[in-house]
Amino acid sequence: MLVKFQSLLALVLLCFLLGVMTDIFFTYANLINVMRQISVNICISVGMTLVILTGGIDLSVGSLLALSGAITAGLLKFGLELPFIDTFIGFTLFGAIMAGIITGTSLGAFNGLMITRFRVPPFVATLAMLTIGRGLTMLYTKGFPISGLGPQFSYLGTGWFLGIPIPVWISLIVVAIAVFITNKTRLGRYIYAIGGNESAAALSGINIKKIKTMVYAIAGALAAVGGIIVTSRLDSAQPNAGNSYELDAIAAVVIGGTSLSGGKGTIGGTVLGAIIIGVLNNGLVLLNVSPFWQQVIKGVVILLAIIIDKYNSKSNG
Amino acid sequence: MKYRLILFFSACLLTFSSGCRKNKQTSGTPKIAVIISTLNNPWFVVLAESAVREAELLGYEAKIFDSQNNTALEADHFENVIVSGYSAILFNPSDSDGSISNIIKAKAADIPVFCMDREVNAKGVATSQILSDSYSGCVAIGKNFVQSLNKKGKYVEIIGMVGDNNTWNRSMGFHSVVDNYPELVMVAQQSGEFDRNKSMEIMESILQAQPHIDAVFCGNDPMAMGAYQALVAAGMADRVKVFGFDGAYEVIQSIHEGKIKATGMQFPELMAKTAAGFADEYMNGRRDFPEKMPVSVELVTSENVKFYIDKP
Repeated sequence: MLVKFQSLLALVLLCFLLGVMTDIFFTYANLINVMRQISVNICISVGMTLVILTGGIDLSVGSLLALSGAITAGLLKFGLELPFIDTFIGFTLFGAIMAGIITGTSLGAFNGLMITRFRVPPFVATLAMLTIGRGLTMLYTKGFPISGLGPQFSYLGTGWFLGIPIPVWISLIVVAIAVFITNKTRLGRYIYAIGGNESAAALSGINIKKIKTMVYAIAGALAAVGGIIVTSRLDSAQPNAGNSYELDAIAAVVIGGTSLSGGKGTIGGTVLGAIIIGVLNNGLVLLNVSPFWQQVIKGVVILLAIIIDKYNSKSNG
Repeated sequence: MKYRLILFFSACLLTFSSGCRKNKQTSGTPKIAVIISTLNNPWFVVLAESAVREAELLGYEAKIFDSQNNTALEADHFENVIVSGYSAILFNPSDSDGSISNIIKAKAADIPVFCMDREVNAKGVATSQILSDSYSGCVAIGKNFVQSLNKKGKYVEIIGMVGDNNTWNRSMGFHSVVDNYPELVMVAQQSGEFDRNKSMEIMESILQAQPHIDAVFCGNDPMAMGAYQALVAAGMADRVKVFGFDGAYEVIQSIHEGKIKATGMQFPELMAKTAAGFADEYMNGRRDFPEKMPVSVELVTSENVKFYIDKP
C-alpha cells in the first residue's frame, strides 16, 4: 500500500510543478491529451504487469503491437486473398479487429509455450519474438504503411464518448478487467503465487505451465489492442510502430512499484507509473525542453523510482 | 529428449542446405550486395529494392542486407559479403562516422563501395558517394516557407532522430534561410524521431502550449502527416501550414488536396540507379568516379504537384 502511495505522491508533485511552471498543464484539453496518449502504454503495461508478476518479462509487445495493427489494417483494406484455392475473403470491421487480436494472442501464447515447454528463459524467448514479430510485420506490409482505413475504424482512435476519447475508455475497461482478475479470481491468486515462489506454487497443485502460457497470451492480446488503437489513431498501420514500446511499458510497471523478481505489485501501481511517464513526456514538451535532455530526465526519473522503491521495501522489513 | 533430437536434426539440415547454396553461388553470375541502413522505413525499402532491380537489370545477382541501423551488424554484413565473393557493394550507411571502418575493410579486399543517400565523413574511402542533397533541398523549402508566411509568424520545427546526420542537414538548410527573418519566430523545436505517431503526440502537446502558431516544418514526411493529424484533431488544420521532406506518396496526395503545403522530393530510384550503373562501369574498367555525386531534391508545392501525383 505504501509503495502505491509513494508513486501517487510523485505524481502529485510532478503535476504541481508543471502547474506552476506552465499555465496550460491543468487545462481540460491538455489533460485529455495526456490520457489519450498514455492509453496505449496502459494497455501494454497491464499485460506486462501480469507477466512480471509471474517473474517473467515480455520484450515482444512492441513488435506484436505493430504486427496486429498491420494485420487489422491489411485485412480491413485489402481482405485476404487465397490464390491457390481461388477465393477472396473480405473482412468486416469487427472481423479485422478480431483477427488482429487473435494474432497477438496466439503469438503471445507461442511465447508462453517456448518458455514453459522448451524452458527458454522469458528474456530470450520474447527477445526472439521481438525480431520475429517485426520481421513478420515487414513481410506483411512489405515495409510500407497501410493507410486510409475509413472513418468507422478511425472512430476507435479519434472518437469521443461522453466527453472522453474512445482510447481512454478502452484502457479503462482493460484496467478494470485486470484489477478484477488480479484481486478477485483464482487466476489472479495463482499469478501472484507463481511469482512469489514457483516451486511452492507447483507443489500446491497449480498448473504453472498453463497459467504462464495464459499470462503471455494475455500480454499478446493487450499488445494487439494497443496496436489497433495506434493504427486507428493514425489512420495508418506503420511498419515501425511500437518500436521500443516494451521499454516504456517496463518503466511504467517498475515505477508503479512492481518487483521485477515477481510476486509483488499491483495493476493500480502500473497505471500510476504509466500516468507519471505520460505526464513527464507531456510536461517536457510543454516546457520545450531540448530533446537531448528529455531522454536523460526520463532515465533519471526511472532510477529515482527504483531507489525509492528499494529503500522503502527495505525499511518495511 | 525427443525435442532435442528434432532440434539437432533440423540444425544439421539447415547447415547442410546453406552449404549447398553457397557452392552454387560462386560459380554463377557476378554478385552485387545491397547493404541498407534500415528496412524499417518505406523510403529505404524503395532505395534497397530499386538498387536490387537496377543491378539485376544490368545482369547481376543482387541481395539485400539489412543493418537495422546498427553499425556492428553492418560490420558483420561487410565481413560476410567480403568472404562470399561479391564484386561490388551498394551501400546506405547506418552512421556517417561509424560506417567508415566497414568501407575501409571492403576497400582493402578490392571491393568497390558506392554510398547511396547517406554520406560518410571520410574522403577517398568510398569509390563514390551518390547523395541526396538534403541541405539544398531544405534551403528550397525554407524559401518557400518564408514566402508563404509572408516573412512573419510563429512556427514549430519537428526534427528527426537527434543523432542522425540527415536530421541536422535538413534542419540547418531550413534555418540557413528562415533565420534571416527576425519576424519568423520558432516557438518550439522537438524531436519526432522520424515517426508518425511520435510526431502526432508531440504536436498535440505543443498545440496546448502554443495555440497560435502559423506553420510547422517537419524533418520527414511521416512526421508531417502526424503533425497534420494533430492539427486536424485540434481543428487548426486550416490555418496552420505544414511542410515536410521526402516526397512520400501520402504527402504528395495531401499537397494535391491542399492539406500540406510543400515537401522536398527525393529520388531514391535515381540514386539507386546511378549507384548500380557506377558499379557496372567499375567492373568494366572505369576508375575515375566523382567523390560525391549530389542528386538534387525538388520542391513540390500545390503549383507543380500535378507532375508528381501520378507516380506512387
